[in-house]
Amino acid sequence: MSEAYFPVGPGLGLEESFLSLDDILMSQEKLPGRAETRLPRLGFALGQGTGAGDAITEGSKLEFPLWLAKGLHDSKRRIISVELPNIYKEAWRTVLSADASVVDLHKMGPYYYGFGSQLLNFDNPENPEIAQAILQTFISRFRRIMDSSQNAYNEDTSALVARLDELERALFQAGQKELNDFQSWEKGQASQITASSLVQNYGKRKFTEVDG
Amino acid sequence: MEPAEVEFLAEKELVTIVPNFSLDRIHLIGGDLGPFNPGLPVEVPVWLAISLKQRQKCRVIAPEWMDVGKLEEIRDQERKENTFTRMPSPYYMELTKLLLNYASDNIPKADEIRTLVKDTWDTRIAKLRLSADSFVRQQEVHAKLDNLTLMEINTTGTFLTQALDHMYKLRTNLQPGETAHSQDF
Repeated sequence: MSEAYFPVGPGLGLEESFLSLDDILMSQEKLPGRAETRLPRLGFALGQGTGAGDAITEGSKLEFPLWLAKGLHDSKRRIISVELPNIYKEAWRTVLSADASVVDLHKMGPYYYGFGSQLLNFDNPENPEIAQAILQTFISRFRRIMDSSQNAYNEDTSALVARLDELERALFQAGQKELNDFQSWEKGQASQITASSLVQNYGKRKFTEVDG
Repeated sequence: MEPAEVEFLAEKELVTIVPNFSLDRIHLIGGDLGPFNPGLPVEVPVWLAISLKQRQKCRVIAPEWMDVGKLEEIRDQERKENTFTRMPSPYYMELTKLLLNYASDNIPKADEIRTLVKDTWDTRIAKLRLSADSFVRQQEVHAKLDNLTLMEINTTGTFLTQALDHMYKLRTNLQPGETAHSQDF
């Protein structure tokens, strides 16, 4: 069934794909920031204060989902200011440039690349360094993903993918599919015709009964 | 593309058989074949050779390169060089598998041939990984792969192109201003 299912993939650029479920989940992730003006009657919505009428005072620390931060951010009219999450800051960038493959990007992400690309929308002065760090991280983790996805045949891969970011997991799956397809062809399984899983799961009626 | 589809293309390659029946020229949509005379070698596509062999209507003659001495030479050459060497047939892997599975009684030293071809394949795949890694590390954007075969490209192609696609997008992030903000009011 999976062959005829074509989901919208993540955008992975400055703009996300509108209908991509991955991108919607990615833009739910929180981003630290600060209110630059008074925001009346929004205290409850952003988790500050209890009453429905509470206002957010200027300069209070907040956490926005990425989609909201993108909506409120404006380079001319300062409504909010956005800070970088730790993983994209100088300290972690140094760790990643030393050896990216030791970092658990699932724990730090799990949308490290997509979220990082989106962060470039906020006109941060460190933007070039962030973009460079994301690209270099991908490049230095590439070999390991390729090797583990194309050598692990018929074994439990959950330990291998546990530390991968969502984008890397999709890549890992692509490598695994190629490996498994080739191995089953080599063993001659590809030439055997099997019933579709749809038919196999359809256990309620036998076809002979349908005929009669 | 799946390996079975690559095999489907490989089955168009010609192979020599010695039939044990007689039949006039047959006119197929892709060209004429035959005539078939008992004991006289004739060239047919692999799919027909396998079908006839399964019905015990012919003897398959192994392609010239499917020979222990030649394959040893190819394997050693492949191990020695850093780049990919030219393979004797663009479908060496598929033809070896098909012919050895269906006509191993007509091919001398079938087991050794199977091992040699598998060794060559493994060497080439390891080399392909190595070169894919250096391709990515140096952030190259084009490559020439004359001596790779379709089956080899097909086993790592999706992975590599998908990774390159991601890399392209991550790299264009480095050049702000190129992509104008479409939602700027």
